[in-house]
Amino acid sequence: MKIDFSFLSKYHEALLMGLGTTLQLTVICFGLALVLGFVLALLRGSRIKPVAWAAMLYVEFFRGTPVLVQLFWIFYCLPIFLGTELSNFTSAVVCLSLYGGATMSESFRSGLKSIGREQYDAAHALGLTPWVRTVHVLLPQAVLRAVPVLLSNGVGLFKESALISAVGMAELMFIGSTISNRTARPVEVFTAIALIYFIVAFPLTRLVAVLERRILRRLAI
Amino acid sequence: MYDAMTQPLASLRNIHKAYGSLTVLSGINLDMSPGERVVVIGPSGGGKSTLLRIMMGLEEITEGSIEFEGQPYITARNGKTRIDADVRKKVGMVFQHYTLFPHLSILNNLMLAAVKTRGMPRAEARDKAMQLLARLGLEAKAGAYPSHLSGGQKQRVAIARALMLDPRLMLFDEVTSALDPELVAEVEQVMLELAEQRLPMMIVTHDMWFARNIASRVIFCAGGVVVEDGPPEQVLGDPVNPRTREFIQRVFHIHG
Amino acid sequence: MEYDVQFHYVKQAWPYLMEGLWVTLQLTFAANVIALTLGFGIALLVMSRLWFVRAPFALLIEFFRCTPVLVQVIWFFYCVPILFGVYLDPMPMGILALGLNLACFNAEAYRAAIQAVPREQMDAGVALGFSPLQRVAYIIFPHALRAALPVLITNGITLFQQSALVALVAIGDLMYMGKQVATQSYRPIETFTAVALIYFAVSFPVARLAALVERRLDVARA
Repeated sequence: MKIDFSFLSKYHEALLMGLGTTLQLTVICFGLALVLGFVLALLRGSRIKPVAWAAMLYVEFFRGTPVLVQLFWIFYCLPIFLGTELSNFTSAVVCLSLYGGATMSESFRSGLKSIGREQYDAAHALGLTPWVRTVHVLLPQAVLRAVPVLLSNGVGLFKESALISAVGMAELMFIGSTISNRTARPVEVFTAIALIYFIVAFPLTRLVAVLERRILRRLAI
Repeated sequence: MYDAMTQPLASLRNIHKAYGSLTVLSGINLDMSPGERVVVIGPSGGGKSTLLRIMMGLEEITEGSIEFEGQPYITARNGKTRIDADVRKKVGMVFQHYTLFPHLSILNNLMLAAVKTRGMPRAEARDKAMQLLARLGLEAKAGAYPSHLSGGQKQRVAIARALMLDPRLMLFDEVTSALDPELVAEVEQVMLELAEQRLPMMIVTHDMWFARNIASRVIFCAGGVVVEDGPPEQVLGDPVNPRTREFIQRVFHIHG
Repeated sequence: MEYDVQFHYVKQAWPYLMEGLWVTLQLTFAANVIALTLGFGIALLVMSRLWFVRAPFALLIEFFRCTPVLVQVIWFFYCVPILFGVYLDPMPMGILALGLNLACFNAEAYRAAIQAVPREQMDAGVALGFSPLQRVAYIIFPHALRAALPVLITNGITLFQQSALVALVAIGDLMYMGKQVATQSYRPIETFTAVALIYFAVSFPVARLAALVERRLDVARA
């Protein structure tokens, strides 16, 4: 069999549309997951034990089960519970955001943990109130330190979003499979799909690495 | 009302401190008068840094009390340590490891506490910070971040940050120990200038030459108690207690 | 809600789910064996001083890290037979795809760990007159393995979860069995909940173990 990628040019609009959907999904879920992750990280540090445990259980559960299982659960079970149909897009957003929130909360937490004891000492010695200490000293440092990991998580969401194809939403992977079925040329199609994911994800990971070095240099004390 | 002529600035009564079964301080008594510069020396693990951290309200105590300017400051009762937050505002501290906030510029490091917890107007805080930085020869660094500074500069900024809040007593916990030798002098110089202005200080240091220069009084702490207490010439030059003498001889032997 | 949750359906389907879990565990184990060994090799190659050795493996790692696992699995299933004329059963193919993916992630973990070996340790090795091979065997490898262990375990668990997507290429793993049962019994809630709990019951204790190992190592290093 001869490998020839040229036939793909016929499908470039469909592929771009698929990529558009994938990116849209990623960006929306990234935003929601950031918020959810931050709230979860705060709840896990709560002094009210049941609250902290509930948040921990949530995080462990979403990190301890396959995203695909979560996806199927939300697609097939959530509508039954809610008693209404959910659009594919909504279900996909719910799934990736809930999962993303769990990973993000871990990143925020390790950012908080990485702040040394001296910072607490200095804050005490300057008589900073708990509020000022949290908002002006701890939080900015935690967030800065977490930024690279949070962005990596975002790239992770971009990749995980390929799973959504399994429930028939027309994102990049699904469109790829459809083209492959129609043309019976899986080698070219799936290689191209892989390359598209790579072309988006790789520069982002490089960017994250550069950013990480810069932030660490800034925060080096 | 506090009377600086007759009352001690700080008076420590029977301070005990233990971490579980490990006793660090076992009954420290000390009266410090205003204008005094007390240098605390002694072997590692002798409780010097712990004493300073207690004075700053960073550590709980197991027994004892501290009065500051005639007011109750820290008291231990039934295993709980009560710290008067208002009195604590009169004490400032500089640490061994530069504890600047790495995400804030030098200027903002100085302004944060003054503006956010002392309610000083921003413009006023900025002026005051710039004046302090100018005094320390660091006004050019106001917009820089801590990571751009040398160790000596960071430590001078840390001193300026503490001075922003007009402390009545400054605590220096081994502030030159982490510095490269050539950077020590610039920090010690700043401290000597503060000494000339008769700012009360309590200093923990391993640098005996500096101790002799800055101290108005030297305390030798070992085994959690004050072993010897007196003017620098006596404690460093001609100690009475055999333990002090042994320590001094050993230190000067190594350094000399 | 009219749906009447009844878990006895799960009880009936239990043997199927266990059969699926067994396949999942086999997949995970085999892929991990490949990845733990191959990963170290790739890590050494990617740290080679020769650029033409280093470059292709660096590219390989980046490629596996920057594309969805689903795409990798599908690519292996459709393209390897056509491109290389290799016709494997689905199971070995799944093991190969997941194993290679994991090997690239583990290689990164090994590499970071090797680079984190303190320079003084190497200097001490030289000063003590160890040969280069001895330095790798007695100094680098023990250091690197210890430092990488928590990440290697975490990667292993992640693969256990990622393996669910081989269900999409019709390997009869836990996820696949769950889907079958859910479709045939019209009981998605009970089935998928049970499937999720089974995955969780396996991965949670292992994740705790990894956290424990990490703490232990931190203490040992301090």
